[in-house]
Amino acid sequence: MEQEVNSPVIREDSRHGYFMKQALAMGEKALATGETPVGCVLVYNDKIVGSGMNDTNRSMNGTRHAEFLAIAEMLQTYPKSAIKETDLYVTVEPCIMCTAALRQYGIRSVFVGTHNERFGGVGGVLTVHSDKSIDPPYPVYVGLYRKEAITLLRQFYIQENEKGKIIDEVKRGEEKNKTRLTLIPAPNPRPKKNRALNTTFDFEDDDQDFMPIV
Amino acid sequence: MDAFTHDAPAVSMRDIVEAIQPLDGHVVPIKSIQEVNPPEGYDDAYVAEVDIKSASRVIKALDAAFPRDSSLPLNHLRRFCKRDKLPESVKQFVDEAYPQKSSMAPSIFILLGISLPDLEAVRTLLEPFIPVPRARSSSPQEPQETSTPSSPEQSPELTLFRTKIPIYPPASAKVADMWSASLWPVTFNPAASRSTVAPNPQTLNRDQKSIEPRAGYYVSLAREVALEAKQSGRGRGVGAVIVDPRIEAQIDEKAWEEGYNSRERWPQAVVAVAGDCRFARSEAGGPSQMDRHPGIAPNPACETYNSDHEGGPDLHALMRAVELVARSRREDPENEVDLAAMACQPIVHTDPQLSKPNQLSAFERYFLYEAGSHVIDDDSTSYRPSPATSCQVSPRKRKFAQPNPEAAPITLDTLTEVELPPSTTTTPPLPAPPASDPASLPPAPQEPIEESGGRLPTSRIRSRAEGGYLCTSLDVYLSHEPCICCCMGLLLSRFRAVIYPRAGRLKSGGLASGPVETQNAVLANGDVDADASQLREDREYYGLHWRKELNWRALGFEFVEDVVDENFPPEQIAFHA
Repeated sequence: MEQEVNSPVIREDSRHGYFMKQALAMGEKALATGETPVGCVLVYNDKIVGSGMNDTNRSMNGTRHAEFLAIAEMLQTYPKSAIKETDLYVTVEPCIMCTAALRQYGIRSVFVGTHNERFGGVGGVLTVHSDKSIDPPYPVYVGLYRKEAITLLRQFYIQENEKGKIIDEVKRGEEKNKTRLTLIPAPNPRPKKNRALNTTFDFEDDDQDFMPIV
Repeated sequence: MDAFTHDAPAVSMRDIVEAIQPLDGHVVPIKSIQEVNPPEGYDDAYVAEVDIKSASRVIKALDAAFPRDSSLPLNHLRRFCKRDKLPESVKQFVDEAYPQKSSMAPSIFILLGISLPDLEAVRTLLEPFIPVPRARSSSPQEPQETSTPSSPEQSPELTLFRTKIPIYPPASAKVADMWSASLWPVTFNPAASRSTVAPNPQTLNRDQKSIEPRAGYYVSLAREVALEAKQSGRGRGVGAVIVDPRIEAQIDEKAWEEGYNSRERWPQAVVAVAGDCRFARSEAGGPSQMDRHPGIAPNPACETYNSDHEGGPDLHALMRAVELVARSRREDPENEVDLAAMACQPIVHTDPQLSKPNQLSAFERYFLYEAGSHVIDDDSTSYRPSPATSCQVSPRKRKFAQPNPEAAPITLDTLTEVELPPSTTTTPPLPAPPASDPASLPPAPQEPIEESGGRLPTSRIRSRAEGGYLCTSLDVYLSHEPCICCCMGLLLSRFRAVIYPRAGRLKSGGLASGPVETQNAVLANGDVDADASQLREDREYYGLHWRKELNWRALGFEFVEDVVDENFPPEQIAFHA
């Protein structure tokens, strides 16, 4: 799906790298609040005009992904038409829902940290950003700070294990403290094996250049 | 805005809702992409004759020596085939190779999996099991098709015959019969073999039966909600209705026990409805499309598709309905303390309507806050609670009698910056809870309750404490085929099923898996009827409700009307529903 094409190589020390760092910082925030660590920023005229992190657990709405929160923030100050000159930097490939939403919103281009092979809409599962549609397609660049994005996700899954234990204790112990149950990501989270943070990557170390899709 | 005043309606919402006529028609399951376009693939495999008495030992020896590829289990292929059941193509060569059938020890033919590692190894492995030729001519001519490279003088002779086999399970019994006759015997397992490609047929059948009787009513209701959204100027004419099948079952059960028609109680299973409000979003603090065209009339932006005026998919009917369910749970006082503590980024109400309950439409408000008064209670036999019962209403239930007064200040204009300290208390990230002390509740509901005493405001949306989670095990009925964004939104919300009228198909939609005509024109061999395929519309077909690639799946149905309703003709312009 990914292929290297003749396009400007975008390095981590470029402005693109700076904005992806800000997206990663949003992912860190999500991690700190028990949300899936996905963060994003919207950049318009070299300025961050919206930022978001996953908010599905707290909002109890499974569609509250980082991209929607960032766009909502941007639209407080900018008209929707400005999104046509706006780029998105997101740590994990947008899901199919967000890929489609970004196209409806008319995003200019999307920079992605790492692919998402379960829900991804820009190549992970489907290619909704470039399929036939009533809206223009947009280009996607994958691989900026990929390791950092993956590490964030891995940290989350380790955290999940520990959280599962806490909640089990709460369930067994005192039922009055129901509020802590809201931390449960799903009613019956699957037990996960305890494991240490994996710091190895199965892709090449020098694979830091962007690999544009389509 | 005048459409959403709180004046007592001349006709009660309940009367309006109960007067909605069900559409006549039936529901049709939307096939999965893999069902419409079954993956096709063939490979060459080899067939050998072995002694029938050693069949099980052969299997053991083969499986031990050549473990099966778990990614291509080939479970649909029979391992053995008797000589007289061999497909014609193989039989022809077998007959040439071994003309004297009667002289053979009883034998059976075994299929050796594809991509054979080493023919010599196979030969060595099978040698002990080759049927003893009693009076066979010493060295039968090797058939043309054989791939055995070695010389034919080996004895006893192992002849490998080649045949083409289908590597994917058959899509139907007919395909299975066809392949069995021409390639190699295959079995059609309607359940197991297709479990990721299509819903389990028993589940599909059961849920279709539970949906069918009332689908015409709920689709009709979705259209009424759509009409309201359009007429108000807030959005396009798209509506969503969320139904709890458990309440449906209770209604049916009660109706059967008490011997009455359950029809008038169908609205009670609706837990939330929402209309599109894409034109109501203000941008950059300026006026919305709706503000630019005041008055109760369809917004002129409906007449064209200009993406700048579309507001965004989070204002689509389905996304709003999902958000109303979430909001109901967030308003549950038992949840809120902890939610505030978790706050890092304020919840951004991308939908300005949602932060102001008093701007819910009449339909939306009725189903979210009022209609629950006639919910069928497991413990109660009369569906209208006595006044004594309503006195025992919990603060939470009472709260639903009026719009949440403290929620109103949270609008897009007052949203705070992202970079807030986690412990912000000055700006509640959520519509603030009413004080848990009932005494501090506003004394009088701002909205009239149509029938005093007969209404017990309560939500039928199960709270988190009651096990409610997202939209798990709920069904959603829509006036149109939802856009790709909303399709994935409904999967992420874990709906059980999604139903929309076939007349509401849109080229931007994400649920249909093929053109209407072609869905019935798929031939037994999985090919698409050539004539029908010419009717292919200019669109992508995603069948997103059931994709084997995705973690979450829902059942998908189209409601096919007996008579097309001229009030709801197919949309003339393409937009995202």
